[in-house]
Amino acid sequence: MFHISSQKKYWTFDNEESLEQLRCEANQKYRNKMLASGKPGVSDAVFLEAHEENVLFRHYEKRLLDFCNAFKPVMPKSVVGTAIMYFRRFYLNNSLMEYHPRTIMLICAYLSCKVDEFNVSSTQFVGNLVQESAAGQERALEQILEYELLLIQQLNFHLVVHTPYRPMEGLLIDIKTRYPLLENPESLRKSVDDFLTRVTLTDSGLLFPPSQIAMTAILNSASRAGLSMESYLTECMGLKEDKETLLKMYDAMRRIKSLMKKYELPKPDEVNAYKVKLERVHADFGTNSNMKRKRGYEDDDHVAKEPRMTEEEWTDEDLDDL
Amino acid sequence: MCFLLCGNCSKMGHWGLSESHPIGYDGLYQGGATTIQRRVFGLHLSLRHDVQYFRGLPVQGECVWDFVMGAEKTIHLACIMAYSFLIAPTELCDNGLPLLAKEIHFRCESCVDMLFVRGSGNCVQCDTPLRKSNFRVQLFEDPAVDKEVEIRKKVLKIYNKRDFDFSNLREYNDYLERVEEIVYNLTNNLEVEGTKQIMEAYQRENRDIIQKNKAKLTREQEELEELLLLEQQGNEQRRLETLQEEQRQLQAKRKSKQALLDELERSHVPATILLAQHKDRAAQLETQIEKQKQVVKTTIFSTGIPMGQTVSLLTVNRLEEVLYHYQPIHMHTYGPPVPELEQLGRLGYLNHVRTAQPQDMAGGYNSGLACHRAIQDAFSGLFHPLG
Repeated sequence: MFHISSQKKYWTFDNEESLEQLRCEANQKYRNKMLASGKPGVSDAVFLEAHEENVLFRHYEKRLLDFCNAFKPVMPKSVVGTAIMYFRRFYLNNSLMEYHPRTIMLICAYLSCKVDEFNVSSTQFVGNLVQESAAGQERALEQILEYELLLIQQLNFHLVVHTPYRPMEGLLIDIKTRYPLLENPESLRKSVDDFLTRVTLTDSGLLFPPSQIAMTAILNSASRAGLSMESYLTECMGLKEDKETLLKMYDAMRRIKSLMKKYELPKPDEVNAYKVKLERVHADFGTNSNMKRKRGYEDDDHVAKEPRMTEEEWTDEDLDDL
Repeated sequence: MCFLLCGNCSKMGHWGLSESHPIGYDGLYQGGATTIQRRVFGLHLSLRHDVQYFRGLPVQGECVWDFVMGAEKTIHLACIMAYSFLIAPTELCDNGLPLLAKEIHFRCESCVDMLFVRGSGNCVQCDTPLRKSNFRVQLFEDPAVDKEVEIRKKVLKIYNKRDFDFSNLREYNDYLERVEEIVYNLTNNLEVEGTKQIMEAYQRENRDIIQKNKAKLTREQEELEELLLLEQQGNEQRRLETLQEEQRQLQAKRKSKQALLDELERSHVPATILLAQHKDRAAQLETQIEKQKQVVKTTIFSTGIPMGQTVSLLTVNRLEEVLYHYQPIHMHTYGPPVPELEQLGRLGYLNHVRTAQPQDMAGGYNSGLACHRAIQDAFSGLFHPLG
């Protein structure tokens, strides 16, 4: 349940500023690391700024969403939501320059299939990378398997993600049962789904509980459709007396909506410019992953056995002395 | 056959044969189980293969240094003294051997018999008085380990306090550390005299405690032995019983077959009826056997104490502890209260959930479960306080 989950304890933050702070820190940490390492060609201009990283992040996130939507067999929505959440959490503490988002995005999808028990074999998974050849798919798979543990580590091993989809279903059931004022809640479903898909592309998952996001989605769709649902909160949720909680709820919903409005798709020319920079950073300073592969025992210094002492053999010379 | 020479002699070309010739350390051959051949008096002697070595000294296996002096008698000379690790090769005692604090003496069995035919004698090489009873079969491959095990047994006979003899854990650990020190010192021949004195002093002071603990140990051992004995007896009995059962069954079968054959011969009743009768009888016999097996022998009381065992009447210590009070768990969900699973149907929630198919219900699923989970997720964290 959400109220005892690691998501609530560790991955729900207070406000957007703290998230920005974390991302800036990650960026800065990477820069300092590279500057301290003293490699040639290192200068501040080469690196991406935090806002540039943000643009690229949104671009790759959209690509992840498209990849998941085009996935065969059809990925359940919770798997998609989990994958995007992993992506977001990973780049909260790491810089895009250190780990290329193209790889990480595939690993997020792969891991979330595993965690959410959506059974896809690895070959089937890389088969969905339609634009690559078979060799390219192989390489992608190798990269995925190599970085998977890194992803899990950076997620601090907190793999269970609570998405707003099930709370949304629960709220619809509740509305149908206890709130007869709203005649046909099913009509809201399409716009609610749409809202939830758009909300996963914002930071709301890291700031608000999923049930609040679902509530916002439903109330928003209702008001868009011109239906009034104010009394739902006061009557059914028992918040008539509890003004404070009610105010907080409205506040949360307002913030979620403003986050949604602020989101915009990244502009293509900006994206391309920053992508070039990113590729250069990775080409120059990225560690080649193949080097890290473990070698077999041949290269390790293993202790050689001591040679046996040669015994003195009986030779013909001895015979001569007889 | 070969004759071990010390390095000095072989270097200087002395091939003299002498039983009491001391064997120097560096003259011994290292490892290997191959043939070493040396010339002695024009005879080629070779070492046998099946000897195990310890630091170049034959330790186990057959005593191979059969030494023929051109005469009738064979003397085993290869029971060589194995040196403990702390050898200072430059120090030599008067008969030419390195001076050691304590040596381990290895002998093969036949040599032990021969050398100590009178009951006690001296080590061939270094004249230390040894007794035959002190020779034990080597249990561990590494002789140092064997030595340590023996020393430990002796020490622990004296230092036999247990953990409840001490008032706190720290004291018990200190005591154990002292014991380990003593064992270490004795094994590696450090301060042997001082250690022995310490042991004697301890023995004198704590004589009564040692005795008491010895008594306790023996009692525990007795109990263990009793249990083992009972187990063994039980096993034996069961085995015998099963054997007897089998025998009886075989006999019964044979008898009934024989009876059938006889009847087929003699009687005028048609064969099919006879066969049917025979089958009935066989089935009856089997059920009888089954019933017999279920007769349980009463050998134990209902509390589990076997009949006929002596029960110790020592008092058991009473432990006073705080009693446990049940308190129901309270979970803070940060949201409105969720209706109970059983109430969902009555409250009408289940009308809006997909009904469970018969296949699902057979597996134990019902629609209330999915509904309850959805409602729980919807209400959990709804009133979560924000920053």
